[in-house]
Amino acid sequence: MSTAVFSTEPLASRLLAPVRDLQALLAFRASGLDRRRRHRLQLALGIVVGLTLSAIVVPAYVRGSAHEAGVGKILGILPSIYLGFLVLAAVSAAASGGGRELVPRDQAVAWPISPTTDHLGSLLLAPLNVAWLLQAWTLLGMTSYSAGPKGLLLTVLPVLAYIGLATALGQVVAWTLEWVRRGPSGTWIVRGIVLAVAALVAGVLVTGHLTEVLDHSPTLRVYLAALNGQSPGLHTYVVPTLTTALLAAAAVVVGALPAGWAARRAPREEHRLETGLFRPRPNPASDLWALVRIDRAGVWRSVPLRRGLLVLAVMPGAIALAGHLQWTRLTILPGLVASGAALLFGVNTWCLDGRGGLWRQSLPVAPGQMFTARVWVLAEVLLATALLTVTLGATRAGRPTPEQLLSVVAVLVVVTGQVLSASMRWSVDHPYAVDMRSARATPAPPVVMVGYSTRLALSTTVVGLVFSGLAEVADGTTLILQVAAFLLLISVFRIYRARSRWLDPAVRAKIVVTIAG
Amino acid sequence: MSVSLSDPTHTRTAEAVDVRGLHVRFGSVHAVQGVDLTARAGDGTALLGRNGAGKSTTMRVLAGVVPPSEGVVSVAGHDVALDPMAVKRAVGYCPDVGGLVPRATPWEHLQLSARLRRMDDWESRARDLLERFDLGEVMHRVTSGFSHGMGRRLSVVLAAFHEPEVLLLDEPFDGVDPTGVTATMDVIGETRARGGAVLVSTHLRELAVEACSTALVLRGGSAVARLDSAELAGEEGTRVYRGLLD
Repeated sequence: MSTAVFSTEPLASRLLAPVRDLQALLAFRASGLDRRRRHRLQLALGIVVGLTLSAIVVPAYVRGSAHEAGVGKILGILPSIYLGFLVLAAVSAAASGGGRELVPRDQAVAWPISPTTDHLGSLLLAPLNVAWLLQAWTLLGMTSYSAGPKGLLLTVLPVLAYIGLATALGQVVAWTLEWVRRGPSGTWIVRGIVLAVAALVAGVLVTGHLTEVLDHSPTLRVYLAALNGQSPGLHTYVVPTLTTALLAAAAVVVGALPAGWAARRAPREEHRLETGLFRPRPNPASDLWALVRIDRAGVWRSVPLRRGLLVLAVMPGAIALAGHLQWTRLTILPGLVASGAALLFGVNTWCLDGRGGLWRQSLPVAPGQMFTARVWVLAEVLLATALLTVTLGATRAGRPTPEQLLSVVAVLVVVTGQVLSASMRWSVDHPYAVDMRSARATPAPPVVMVGYSTRLALSTTVVGLVFSGLAEVADGTTLILQVAAFLLLISVFRIYRARSRWLDPAVRAKIVVTIAG
Repeated sequence: MSVSLSDPTHTRTAEAVDVRGLHVRFGSVHAVQGVDLTARAGDGTALLGRNGAGKSTTMRVLAGVVPPSEGVVSVAGHDVALDPMAVKRAVGYCPDVGGLVPRATPWEHLQLSARLRRMDDWESRARDLLERFDLGEVMHRVTSGFSHGMGRRLSVVLAAFHEPEVLLLDEPFDGVDPTGVTATMDVIGETRARGGAVLVSTHLRELAVEACSTALVLRGGSAVARLDSAELAGEEGTRVYRGLLD
């Protein structure tokens, strides 16, 4: 591969070079998988494909004459949900500093990986995200539900093109923001942009123009094209679908520009944190408190984790706030937010120690206490993010019935336990050496993250739906408490089992040695 | 030259470190295969050998971080398998890689260590050590921004902070500037002078010779020779060492 500015390689070859490099990187990642992991990857991808097909087909056939009223409601809100997907794609990519990295930063230094290859890798990894998957399935499901089974393939084509467009556009926005953020006063400029957008949205909300604005959303054209899939016309279906697909391709190409600009600037915020001074605090009063303090520093002094947690907490809450989400629907949010928070670091929680794990293991402290401290810190992170989301969502949700209020509180506690138990289990059984200094790093390899995010999303959504149903049961407070206590006990038991494995010196040694690399 | 695997003049009671038939297995990998090792209080022992010889794994066992798969390991009179907590109280350990919590400052590392080791009035010693290792100005900065050499120096500070009975230094000189090397040598000298045992694992043979009185050469997970470190000095020492590695 030539690195010269004036390369003698043909133009087509130069344009395709990043794609070839991407293939090489994918092959490199795949070569590190043994047969068992390959099998699990195939299974995970099979589940994702299966769920995607189900999201397309099942709602289309579920629809019947009895659902006409429901279809009417969906018709009204779907373009807004399409828009929401674009916002989500941009926010999640921006929160992770431009998108996830295909090869960890500390490994990537060995190869001349161009920013364009990096950009393409991030695009490829964008769907490996629980929020992206759920939103994409929602878009596909609701569209096929509203259109019905006739011409289903043609119905979903514009939606798929739009999903591609929104993801690529989100990447363009994310790289641009990252480029600005890395520039002079970049952090303040980005904060200003975020505040301005928030003020604009709030202004639209307060003045009651939200419906009017959403009615003019360009996503309406995509949705209409999807509905016209039953009887496709040139101008009603073919042109908008092709336009969406071409725009998606253009966004993929354009994204390489800000990716290159960002790559030429150093990450200032991370560097500032690494060179900044932290005032010493009084000596801790207990061993547990000393451990908790160090563990908390691992989370809250990390720019990517702090930013990711804030976005996770605020975004769904703001959407719930704007969309007047009712109490019975609020039960879905804590699970998704807690899952997202765990996916930032919790699923490989010992990676917070990095290579310091070896030193920490040589300190005279009971291993059980180390485990308790980590559980405590992870639990407070999960609870805090989910609580902030629910608080925001509840602001405009009206006055709840006792059952509704109790359901939301119960779901907060239950999903925290559920996500916590899964995180501690995976952290003990499957440690990975990762450098979490990079905002774009994931706590486990991307393919493993697919499995984790899918499992967390499924289990917590089911719990959210259960409590959503219980919230409607008259005089159901006792039942809600019983179900919550039962589910919580399962989580406690699982955490206890993970702790028992951690207490085994051989298991603990394997974890710290693996994490230390 | 005298090359032997045991030193008959040592009595078990005087030994700060006593390792008999140590084996460590990680799945199918046999990292350490029957190492015997003794180190007396006040002695400096160098662990030498090529990459993968089992030096770091042996150090991790002595620090109570990795449990032995087989064999008896006694550190400061405590069996690492039966009483790892007592071993951890007696040992100061500088791991071969990193050894620092990325988002914590040097001061917070020391604060944690002092708390868990029940140390009172530790602040002046902490400041003194940090100054000697030229880390005084960065004691309140997170360690993720440290250079490799700074990280190594801080790891030595953390290991020596509580004046341990057994000081385990794994690659303490790797990437360290002359000031750091001198400070590390001083710490080793002080530990030996107050009756502590020091074990140093390193690839820098000349520094090992300077810091330690005895050397143990490992090859393929086993100990192949125990000799006076002076025998490894100079060109003759290079020849002897190469002969033991091949």
